[in-house]
Amino acid sequence: MVGPEGMRVVAVPREGAAEWTRPGWPRPGLTLLLAYSAVLLLFLLVPLGAVLWRALSAGDLGRYLTSPIVVDALRLSLLTTLLTLVVAVVLGTPIAYLLARYQFPGRALIDTALDLPMVLPPAVAGVALLLTFGRRGLLGPTLSAFGIEISFTTAAVVLAQLFVAAPFYVKAAQAGFAAVDRELEHVSASLGVSALGTFWRVTLPLALPALLGGAVMTWARALGEFGATILFAGNFQGRTQTMPLAIYVAMERDLGAALVLASILVVASFLVLLGFKLLARARLAPVA
Amino acid sequence: MLEVAIRKRLREFQLAAAFSAGNELVVFFGPSGAGKTVTLRCIAGLLRPDAGYIALAGQAVFDAAHGIDVPVQRRRVGYVPQHYGLFPHLTVAENVAYGLRGVPRAEARARVAAMLARLELTGLERRRPRELSGGQQQRVALARALVTRPQVLLLDEPLSALDAGLRARLRRDLLQVHRQIRIPTVLVSHDLAEAYMLGERIVVFDRGQVLQVGSREEVWYRPASARVARLVGATNVLPADVAPEGPDGLVTLRTPRFALHARAPAGPLPPRVEVVVRPEAIRVERAEAPGAPSNRLPARIVDEIATGAYYTLYCQVEPAQPAAPPDLEVLVPAPHYVALDLAHTRACALVIPPEAIHLLPAA
Repeated sequence: MVGPEGMRVVAVPREGAAEWTRPGWPRPGLTLLLAYSAVLLLFLLVPLGAVLWRALSAGDLGRYLTSPIVVDALRLSLLTTLLTLVVAVVLGTPIAYLLARYQFPGRALIDTALDLPMVLPPAVAGVALLLTFGRRGLLGPTLSAFGIEISFTTAAVVLAQLFVAAPFYVKAAQAGFAAVDRELEHVSASLGVSALGTFWRVTLPLALPALLGGAVMTWARALGEFGATILFAGNFQGRTQTMPLAIYVAMERDLGAALVLASILVVASFLVLLGFKLLARARLAPVA
Repeated sequence: MLEVAIRKRLREFQLAAAFSAGNELVVFFGPSGAGKTVTLRCIAGLLRPDAGYIALAGQAVFDAAHGIDVPVQRRRVGYVPQHYGLFPHLTVAENVAYGLRGVPRAEARARVAAMLARLELTGLERRRPRELSGGQQQRVALARALVTRPQVLLLDEPLSALDAGLRARLRRDLLQVHRQIRIPTVLVSHDLAEAYMLGERIVVFDRGQVLQVGSREEVWYRPASARVARLVGATNVLPADVAPEGPDGLVTLRTPRFALHARAPAGPLPPRVEVVVRPEAIRVERAEAPGAPSNRLPARIVDEIATGAYYTLYCQVEPAQPAAPPDLEVLVPAPHYVALDLAHTRACALVIPPEAIHLLPAA
C-alpha cells in the first residue's frame, strides 16, 4: 500500500485478511503453512472437543450438576482460587514493583527464585509445603502451639495454589511496571505529586493491562492446580477436594460427574481467557 | 533567578557546572554526553549533585554544605523531558490539570482553560496524546508545566525529535511563550543554529566542563577557547606568532603558511596566539580582482561540500601544496558561488577583514 505522501505503509496483520493477503489465492506456501498449523491445532482441540461431546451425549447433565461431589468441588474451587488471586495480587504487587524499579544485590537470585515454582513439578511444591507447614514440618510445631493446623485444610488448598500460581502474576506485573516510562514518573513528581500519588495516578493505570493479564494467568493456574494440593491438602470432599481432584476421584466411580466438571473447567477457562482478550483490545489497548 | 554551582562524579567524567541566569532563556549547548542533561536533572531534583548549590528565585533548593536538598515535588520546576512525557492514559485537559490537585476545582478548570487557550490548544481538551501532532504534544507538555506556575522551566532537547519544518515553527512558539512567562528557562540543545536562535544566554558544555557562559554574540564571535571555537562552528583555528609592528595600529600574525593583520586587543598580547576566524566571515573574490586590501590571500579550492543554500570550501593559500591539509574553511552563499563560477575556477582570493579575527592566547 502507498500512503498519501508516497511512503510505503506497512500493513498490520490484524484488521482482517484482506489487508495482508495479496491477491492470487491459492498460494502454495501459505497452504503448506496452514496444513502444518492444523496438525497441532487439531491435537489440542480434538481432546477438548471429546470431553464436551461426551458430556453432552451422556444426557441428564442436570442430575450431575446438582450432585454433591460436583457442587462441593465447584464451590471450593471458586472460593480457593479467588482467595489465592487476592493474596497473590496483594502480596505480589509490591515485590513486582520492587523488582521492576530497583537494582540491588541478590536481585537476580530473587528474580530466578520466583521463576522456580513455574518450572518445578507441583509434587515438589506439595512436598515442600508439607515440610514447612506440616505437623512435623519446619513451622508445624510453632503453628500447633497457637492451635493452628494448616495441612489437610482449605487453607492448605489456598497455600498450594498460591505457591504454584502466584509467580505468574508477579512476573507479569513486573514486566508491566518495567514497561512504564520512568520519565512519566519524573514528570509527575516535578508537578508536585508524591511518590504514592504518582504510583496510583500514573504507574498503576499504565501497568494495569499487564497486571490483569497476570491475574488471569494466576487464576487459571490456581484453578487447574492438582499435584501440590493433593499432597499438601489431601482429597476431602467439601474441604480440600477442588475440581481437578474431584475429576480424578469421579473418573473411578462416576464418569458423568467427571465429564461435567471437566466440561465446566474447559468452558469457564475458555470464556475467561477470551473475555480478557476482548476486554484488553477494547478498553485497555488504547491505554497501553 | 537561577544559580547553579555543582559537581557530580559521572561514569565517564567529572561534571562541574557553574552559571547563573535571570529571567532569560538559557541554552545548554554542547555535544551529546557533555553533561547538559545531567545538569538539567540536577536542577530539577531528579539527580543529586555530589557538591555545590542550586538556588531558585533566591531560595536554595540544594546546598551540600548545609544539607539542603528540596525534593523534586517541592521545587516548583516545570520539567519537559525529551519526548514530552505526556501521560498516555489521560486526555489533554487531564494532562494539563494533573499538577493542580489541591487547587479549588473551579479555579483549576479556569486555569487549565486559560493555559490551553494561550497555547492554542482549545478544542483538543478531550484528545489523547497519541492523537496529537508532535507540535501539539509539545505545547500540551508546556501547558502542563506552566499551569502550576513554576519558578523555572526546564526543557530537555524539546525539538530534537521533530522534522525540520516543525522545528522552525516550534522555536518561534517557544520564544513567544518565553516572552510571555519571563521565568528562567533552560533548554538543552546540541543544535548550533537552535542554540543561537533561542539562547539569550548560552552555556557551552564539553565533557562535563562548562567552557563558556555568555551572550550568543560572545560565544559566537569571541569564543573563550579553541574548544569552544570549534564547537560553535568557528572552524578556522590557526597557531600564530605575534609581531607587534603593523600598519594603522594592526598587529601582524605569522601563521605557518601566511601572515595576517588583526586589530590589536586592549591588553598586552602574548608572543604566541591562536587565530580564530569564522568560515562565513571570509570573503571570496576572483583571483584577478583589482585592489589589494590587507589580508587578501591568493588561494586554491581543494575540496567543497554543498548544503543547498551554502557551499563550504576547503582552501589552500598559494603556493598550494597538493598533499597538505587545507588552510582555511570558507562558507559562501550559493548565489555567490555561482556568480564567481567557482565550480570551474578553482583559483580565487580570500579576504579576511581584520575585525573578523579573534585572538586567543596559545594553549
